[in-house]
Amino acid sequence: MSTETIRGFAEPHPLFASRREFLRKTGAGFGWLALSAMAHAESATRPQAPAAGGLDPLAAHTGHFGGKAKSVIWLFMNGGQSQVDTWDYKPELQKRDGQELPGFDKNTGFFTGDVGPLLKSPFQFPQHGRSGCRVSEIFPSMIPHVDDMAFIHSCFTQTNNHSPALFQINTGFSRMGFPCVGSWVTYGLGSESRNLPSFIVMYDTLGRGVPKGHAQNWGAGFLPGVFQGTALNVQGSPINNTDRDPAMGDAQQREQLNLLRRLNQRGQGGAGGEDAELAARIESYELAYRMQTAAPEALDVGREPAGIRRLYGVDEKRCGHFARQCLMARRLVERGVRFVQIYSGGMDNERSWDGHVDIEGNHRQFAGETDQPIGALLTDLKQRGLLESTLVVCCGEFGRLPVSQRGKKPGRDHNPHAFTTWMAGGGVRGGVHHGQTDDVGHKAVVDRVSVNDLHATILHLMGLHHEKLTFRFNGRDFRLTDVAGEVVRAVVA
Amino acid sequence: MMIRGGAATNQEPSGKSFWSFQPLHHSPPPRLRGFSWGVGPIDAFVGKALEEHQLQPAPAAPRRVLARRLFLDLTGLPPTPEELSRFLDDAAPDAWARCVDRLLASPRYGERWCRHWLDVARFGESHGFEHDTDRPNAFHYRDFVIQALNQDLPFDRFARWQIAGDELAPENILAWEATGFLAAGTHATQITANKAEKERYDELDDMAATTGAAMLGLSVGCARCHDHKFDPIATEDYYRLIATFTKTVRSDHEVPTDPAAHQRAMEEFRRDHAVFEQKLRAYEKDVLPSRLEAWERTGEAPAAPEWLTLDGADARSKDGATFARQADGSFIAQGKNGDFDVYTFRVRSPVGRITAVRLDAMADPSMPHRGPGRAGNGNFDLTDFALAWETPGAAQPQPLKFTSAAATFEQSGLPVAAAIDDNPKSGWAVDPRFGTNHSAMFRLAAAFTNSPDTTLIFTLKFNGNNQHNIGRPRLSVTAAESPSLKGEQGSMTVAEASEALRTPRERRSTEAQARLLAWFRTQDEGWKRLDGERAKHAAREPKPDMRRVLVCSEGLPAVRLNTQGPDFYEKTFLLKRGDLAQKQSEAAPGFLPVLMRDGGRGEGWTPRPQSESRTPRHRTALAEWMTDVDHGAGALLARVIVNRLWQHHFAMGIVATPSDFGKQGARPTHPELLDYLALRLIDSGWSLKAAHREILRSATYQQASMGDADSARKDPANLWLSRYPRQRLDAEAIRDSMLAVSGRLDRRMFGPGSLEETMTRRSVYFTMKRSRLIPMLTQFDGPDCLQSLGRRVNTTVAPQALFLMNNSQVRASATVFARLATGSGSRPAAASVRDAFERALARPPSSEELSDVLTFLERQSALYGGADGRERAMTDFCQALFGMNDFLYVD
Repeated sequence: MSTETIRGFAEPHPLFASRREFLRKTGAGFGWLALSAMAHAESATRPQAPAAGGLDPLAAHTGHFGGKAKSVIWLFMNGGQSQVDTWDYKPELQKRDGQELPGFDKNTGFFTGDVGPLLKSPFQFPQHGRSGCRVSEIFPSMIPHVDDMAFIHSCFTQTNNHSPALFQINTGFSRMGFPCVGSWVTYGLGSESRNLPSFIVMYDTLGRGVPKGHAQNWGAGFLPGVFQGTALNVQGSPINNTDRDPAMGDAQQREQLNLLRRLNQRGQGGAGGEDAELAARIESYELAYRMQTAAPEALDVGREPAGIRRLYGVDEKRCGHFARQCLMARRLVERGVRFVQIYSGGMDNERSWDGHVDIEGNHRQFAGETDQPIGALLTDLKQRGLLESTLVVCCGEFGRLPVSQRGKKPGRDHNPHAFTTWMAGGGVRGGVHHGQTDDVGHKAVVDRVSVNDLHATILHLMGLHHEKLTFRFNGRDFRLTDVAGEVVRAVVA
Repeated sequence: MMIRGGAATNQEPSGKSFWSFQPLHHSPPPRLRGFSWGVGPIDAFVGKALEEHQLQPAPAAPRRVLARRLFLDLTGLPPTPEELSRFLDDAAPDAWARCVDRLLASPRYGERWCRHWLDVARFGESHGFEHDTDRPNAFHYRDFVIQALNQDLPFDRFARWQIAGDELAPENILAWEATGFLAAGTHATQITANKAEKERYDELDDMAATTGAAMLGLSVGCARCHDHKFDPIATEDYYRLIATFTKTVRSDHEVPTDPAAHQRAMEEFRRDHAVFEQKLRAYEKDVLPSRLEAWERTGEAPAAPEWLTLDGADARSKDGATFARQADGSFIAQGKNGDFDVYTFRVRSPVGRITAVRLDAMADPSMPHRGPGRAGNGNFDLTDFALAWETPGAAQPQPLKFTSAAATFEQSGLPVAAAIDDNPKSGWAVDPRFGTNHSAMFRLAAAFTNSPDTTLIFTLKFNGNNQHNIGRPRLSVTAAESPSLKGEQGSMTVAEASEALRTPRERRSTEAQARLLAWFRTQDEGWKRLDGERAKHAAREPKPDMRRVLVCSEGLPAVRLNTQGPDFYEKTFLLKRGDLAQKQSEAAPGFLPVLMRDGGRGEGWTPRPQSESRTPRHRTALAEWMTDVDHGAGALLARVIVNRLWQHHFAMGIVATPSDFGKQGARPTHPELLDYLALRLIDSGWSLKAAHREILRSATYQQASMGDADSARKDPANLWLSRYPRQRLDAEAIRDSMLAVSGRLDRRMFGPGSLEETMTRRSVYFTMKRSRLIPMLTQFDGPDCLQSLGRRVNTTVAPQALFLMNNSQVRASATVFARLATGSGSRPAAASVRDAFERALARPPSSEELSDVLTFLERQSALYGGADGRERAMTDFCQALFGMNDFLYVD
């Protein structure tokens, strides 16, 4: 049952193999699996792992052409970071503070009744690095890294509302039901990790909630569930079902699994059986058993030396929560995890980067939560030689308006027309500033970069061709980039 | 013959001659030459293909294996030891057929097969997006599917009702519940004005794409931006299809559960009630006039209340709300709740002076939080309150001016005075005092004295906030110089009576006399007694049993979630490249031309317009086309559903892509068999149970899963069914089986679902909240409820093993199971082990297995030590049974 040919295509499916091939494959990873009925995947076009014979969809692949980046750490500035207060310095905006923005469509943002005039950034923007990059004063720890970072100032999206915009930047579609970037990447490349999920998501641990749109942001859509993100639980054990019944010790569980193995080998699909899927299931208990210890170890930042903990700010009240997650991310990519996404901020307005009220206070707070950990992450990855193979991406779901949202302390409303994304490591050309917004930072105007383009670029850096990475579902070959997308060559080293 | 798996070639016919768009072909069952096998046409078709591929069918599976296969297939639960013996001990030749019939008649059948259809229907019970708001009335759709399957509702009707049940069978609540199919998709919230139309097109796409994929196996959504690349569906066809749903909205609608029963009860009631009415009328005619005469002689006069209620008003709403007049003179607003409604009340003025008018905004269960407003929180926002008068022949109404206003309660910042100021946006509101009556009084600048033919015109505007309209208004007037809101309110009839009494009886008009009697009778003890009896009986009027159901229809109040846009746009346009900025012509509702034969029957499918119809009946037309075998899409509909049945029985359909019967999809391995099954379905009156029965009685179904070595080598994917395909149980069957085997399963059917993983009802009763999918179901490849899913993937991953090893619910079941198998203390261990095997795997252990387990129990008990070591060891063994391939797979 596990060896079926692909409907509609002459090539055998890469995910099917004989038992012999399966047995040749050793040292399988966390999500090792046999994928028998690739139900709708009559055609799944993705790179094949030549050595593995393709039985294990999470077996590591080199991609279509071998990219420099092996892992991704995506730092998600949830709620929408203001480009004009962070990375997109606009002298003209400073000058025109308090003036109306001619021709501005008051329906652009969310609070259409509170539209104010242009609002200058409350922050200073000193110059740094070889590139003379202007960096907002709220990011002191990132200053040493600006020559490693590539900035795309001309990103734009198509919706002005959090959850559709989150879906769009995560899946390429503003509707629900499509696989996210992390799922596509693990589908395309498998995982280097042993005993760990290949795609891990972390969100706010201070009780401020999950990103709007919830788990759909890291869902696998129509891809097999094995490719979905594993969101670490904030309470209890971080990964479901890794704690055994307290009444049961390791010895007892070992004994129980031995019995199970014996019974399974005597039953259908046991010894001498030709069924690779049944054999895979028998093996999966051993993998699960090993995972129980591997996962807690990987996530235990207490094992890091004091110097490293200090570097990230693990024990700082201001940023400790995000620092722990950044440090965990490093430990995970070090162990071969393919994709890590960390959300800064929670769900409700003002409990994330969603600075509708008091943009200055809001962004000072969230920069304070993230600046030191991100700076430390870049430093740490670099000193370990991991930055070359780790693509760090940082952006939110959209930008914010250059005009104020009126209130006692002015804020900024949502802006789908412009935001800045920066990337570092993993084959990125550092010190690049690509694209421009208009004089006040309202709309991307030069070298505009769509979400599809951003995704094409991330896939490219991972060695995946965005037009070739497809999955057929309900009669259509889907791509992360739908029918669009161009690699932003300027940021590729 | 076309081969499943064969690539589409240039030579293959396209357009209407493509295989799936052709009419159903009747092929006589072929005769087998190579071997003698089978019991009917299915086996003949399958056998023929086996012959052609030099394959032999596998022998029949052992009866125990068959029993477990059948129980899990039809009910999603393994047989109990009793059920198993009943079948095994039945030596009659039709034992199998009767076992099939028993299980098809079991309510468990609907619960099992419902889930297959819910996948296809992308069924979810929340809106998704920003806050993933719950849909508390969505579960009725799930219950509809269970009932439809259990009752063997003909599949064509099943399909039609899901598109237009409210139009086709409005008297049947199941038909209303069926429209939950269209409603089941996601619905964006927090939509700003600029995005509303795009979201609406996405929603129309969801309805059309799901209908296309689920019923016809067609990916119509591909034609949204360009003509379909592979299938003959033009962009224009797509927009005509979605135009069917132009005005279709989700609504939480109250539907009578059994209108016929209510009708019968009402007829009986009316018969009884007429007696009371007759007695009263007779008293009024024969006794009351003389009683009035006697009273008049006493010279008494009626005492007028301070406020006279204008209960005879003609009430109108700008946005189409209707008003139901209540006995107390108030009006309950019903139906459409417009965004910014305007109410107008016209009433013949009572004779005399008017110094002030009064507006009561009354609480009522018809409103959210019992009102008094119709907004979601129960509030209203009265921005303008105006009064004018007119006489017949006058050019236009004359406005009256108010000087001041007072109210029983005013929301902070929204005082009642704002309703009579010059600002059209400022108004009176009552947050947070909901669920109670509020009153306002408006004093006239000068007392108004009117003549008998004057009409008063009250205008109430609600211009401040969407849908903040008063739900139960009542208007009164007073002649008092310093009126109070505490003053008594009474009917206008008192005033009229006083007026009539001024004229001596001999000169009184008939009309005035009637008005006087109308008042007098309310004073008369005899009349009051009879009227009291009548009212007492009236209160016993049978009320229809109502159920609030999430439906999809037109002309009903839409479920709204913080949108700045309308519920729908009046017109659907053909969009170039799917771009809203490139609207072409308006798209008229239509069908897919590729599925219209003999020029189609557009006129025939489209019902005659009914002027009083609430809905445009475009959905009825779509449903008629969909199920029309001869001229419409019915042939494909039949092919697609029998293929889905086949897929669930054999792990793979005759067409391997169950929701894609287009060019990109697979070709049927057994095209003649597919058409045979489709024709049989239609001939049986679209009975799914008949189709199950025929498939299950075939020798093909009853083969062993282990074919000969030849079969595995020549047909590794089992395309030709040279053996029964072994399958892993789906997520629901795994969980439900563990609960059933351990005796923990709660078999209560229907009703609201649960999000608690500790729930012990069947998994189909988990609430499908899109942001909180049940982890266990997801881990075992359950659906994400976002897009129509015709076939689940089947993965084998370590997290599934972790679940079986460590999950607390699995442990709980194992613990209870262990106690059940252990029985009383005196039972020997071997007997307990045998019992556990029988319950979990429907077979006894082999001697090697028994010995393995007994050895394990000894060692594990010792490892645990202590008094409960034995019990824990038994639990560990029972849990290990759940982890066995023999438990997780069906042979």
